[in-house]
Amino acid sequence: MNLGKIKKALLSKQMVIAYWVLGLVVIWEILAVIIEHTKRTPENVLPHLHQIAQSIFSKDLVNMDQTALQIVLSNTGITLQRAGIGFLIGIAVGYLLALIMNMFSWAEKVVFPYLMIIQMIPILGMAPIVLAMTKDINKSRIVIAALLTFYPVATNTLAGFKSVMKEKHELMYSMAAKKSDVYKKLLIPASMPYFFTGLKISAPMAITASILVDTLQGGGGLGCMLSQSLKHAMTIYVFWQIVFLSAIIGIASYYLMSVIEKLISPYKKVGR
Amino acid sequence: MAAATSITKEYQKFTPMENETDTEIKIEDLWVKFPDKNGGEPVTALQNINMDIKQGEFVSLVGPSGCGKTTLLRTIADLQPPSTGNISVRGKTPREIRLQKKYGIVFQNPVLYEWRTVRRNVCMPMELMGLPKKYRTARVTEMLEMVGLYNFGKLYPHELSGGMQQRVGIARALAIKPEILLMDEPFSALDEFTKEKLHEDLQTIWSKTNKTILFVTHNIQEAVFLSDRVIVMSPHPGRISAIVDIDLPRPRTLATRDTTEFNALVSKVRNSFEGV
Amino acid sequence: MEIEKLQDRTNVEKLTTVLYPVLFGIFIAVLWQTQILHKILGTDTFTLPLPGRIISIIGDNHATILKNVGATLIVALGGLTAGSLFGYLLGIISTAFPKWGAGGLTVVSAFNAVPIIAIAPILNNLTKDFSKDANTRSMLAKMLVVMITCTVAMSINAYRGLTELKPFSLDLMQSFAASKLEIFFKLRVPNSVPYIFTALRVSVPACVISALVSEYFAEYIIGVGRQIRENIVLAQYATAWAYIFVACAIGIIMYLILLTLEGILLKGRR
Repeated sequence: MNLGKIKKALLSKQMVIAYWVLGLVVIWEILAVIIEHTKRTPENVLPHLHQIAQSIFSKDLVNMDQTALQIVLSNTGITLQRAGIGFLIGIAVGYLLALIMNMFSWAEKVVFPYLMIIQMIPILGMAPIVLAMTKDINKSRIVIAALLTFYPVATNTLAGFKSVMKEKHELMYSMAAKKSDVYKKLLIPASMPYFFTGLKISAPMAITASILVDTLQGGGGLGCMLSQSLKHAMTIYVFWQIVFLSAIIGIASYYLMSVIEKLISPYKKVGR
Repeated sequence: MAAATSITKEYQKFTPMENETDTEIKIEDLWVKFPDKNGGEPVTALQNINMDIKQGEFVSLVGPSGCGKTTLLRTIADLQPPSTGNISVRGKTPREIRLQKKYGIVFQNPVLYEWRTVRRNVCMPMELMGLPKKYRTARVTEMLEMVGLYNFGKLYPHELSGGMQQRVGIARALAIKPEILLMDEPFSALDEFTKEKLHEDLQTIWSKTNKTILFVTHNIQEAVFLSDRVIVMSPHPGRISAIVDIDLPRPRTLATRDTTEFNALVSKVRNSFEGV
Repeated sequence: MEIEKLQDRTNVEKLTTVLYPVLFGIFIAVLWQTQILHKILGTDTFTLPLPGRIISIIGDNHATILKNVGATLIVALGGLTAGSLFGYLLGIISTAFPKWGAGGLTVVSAFNAVPIIAIAPILNNLTKDFSKDANTRSMLAKMLVVMITCTVAMSINAYRGLTELKPFSLDLMQSFAASKLEIFFKLRVPNSVPYIFTALRVSVPACVISALVSEYFAEYIIGVGRQIRENIVLAQYATAWAYIFVACAIGIIMYLILLTLEGILLKGRR
């Protein structure tokens, strides 16, 4: 009886995920051991996880006055701030565009084909030219993050507006609802799940974009430190810390959007 | 004919609502045509519809799919413009009545707002009318008690059964005290047991509130059980083929369904369909 | 009378659906050519050359450009193919062991949110000993980056396609006493086809993007993405723009090919 419960707990969904993470750690360590014995500078290729962990807690100064962790964290702030500003601008522009496209059919006709095309364009590949045009690393980070955010938000929100059943519109119409009320009480709440789908796509992209732009030029940020560390301007463990941190931030940004969604739309909490 | 219409109109203009004759909805020579999607001849959905519905009357539109019963309801609700002909509701156009928020509509789907609790769903039309909060709360309670869902107010729609969802829809439609309740196959997706219960409930609600109800259905028993009059419609083109008065005593109960009178009326309705 | 008007209206609708975006495109092109666009963006013809100049550069350097396009295409398509096949395989394995598979895919899906820039340098280092030729080993590293991106999208969608069957279809197969293998080939695989395209709609644009970005970090200097960056470092903006044009064209053409294939293969479904 009790044993069955333990067995069930050990095979729960969370535990299965934990086993997988553990499995990945084991694979990493096996590879690290192999590389340790075959390469001259194993820490450049694949260090042991405990070595990376040690570097996080190490008090040794890596440059003039910072430890590896201090460098990473201070630059994370810079990157996140710019990704965040770009993300917010992208949300605002994308949402506004979806609203305009839904209100005016001519606007939808003009913009929609281009929204489709922009999805096929490798915007990240355009980062260098944006930098050249804005001539400012901060601005270009924000522009690229905003560009990558606005179209998932715009297309998904528009899809959300369009997903509202005809009967729901007719009900509003039969109650002679004002246009503003139709948006406030029907379209905007109904499109929330779609809007958040857009956010979940674009939040990690905004962060990726911001880090990528960092690598193009000096001026701080995770990407900048990452390339400096790769060029051995500072310890390689800065690079490894950034690899893990950026992965964590990317995943966290996704889950942050889910959490906000659950807070805003409680009806989804129960069922389904 | 034309002269008669204008006289009625003049009469209505100078008569206050209360003293008005008991004609609530008057439809004269109504045609509705839809353009053919492939550019062919337009399809006639409704052909030469003439009917009167009295105030406080429970009228059903019965017919097979394609007979235009839903189109007729939608035309009265100002959801579909007529091609030719005239509809007057209390001497006004359907649009005027809609803008005065005198219609309550219940669709086949409950059409609840899944992000709102039951209470806030019922509250929605009153919010649109800008009614004060205190009144809204009291009215929501009253409505939920009437449909027997008072204890479910805090739940979300997906936590309710289909029958309960439809009750919420009815409560919502009645919350703003509409003059006319338009119901488009509201029970057709429900199981037989739930349906019979809701028939009796609807009858009670109707007798309490004294609304005019226009009820669209393809279920003959349902129409006979609920209505004062059944308007039988036939397809291709959609037209009225018979009007059957239902003079069964009220309140009607489960036992009513077993009476010979009931079954005779059901047969009468069934036999009035044309060309199906 | 009324009806004719309605029909006229639908014809006007059809016309404007094409006309409006085309007019908008021409409008932007005119702004660009007349340099009004430059004033709006606060830039000059040196950083944002006129369309005509960009096109003439593409014409003049078509041999070099083609070589770089080839390199990028090999990486993108190679990674896409390998990643999609591997992803589908993961989907199959997860279907066979649903309890373990679903959890594993949750972990895989987390990779979706990991910035490519973090993966690219690791793979560069890992593949250093693979070949003596810098071009070959760079190619492998880049392809692996693309592969990882495409694996994630495909494995999740393949799993859904193989397991989210229509209600009762599994019961029906079992009532025929179909074996697990028969159920797999006759029910699960056909059911997963639309899901494969859902995955490809994500991974086709993604494979181009990750190919371009992984080129930034590669050891060997080749590829459309790398050329954009190199030319900007050299302040040859017009050439960089030519490569951006080409990159956009690759992305759009690949997506259009996908849509055409989808149209043919999913005909009759939905």
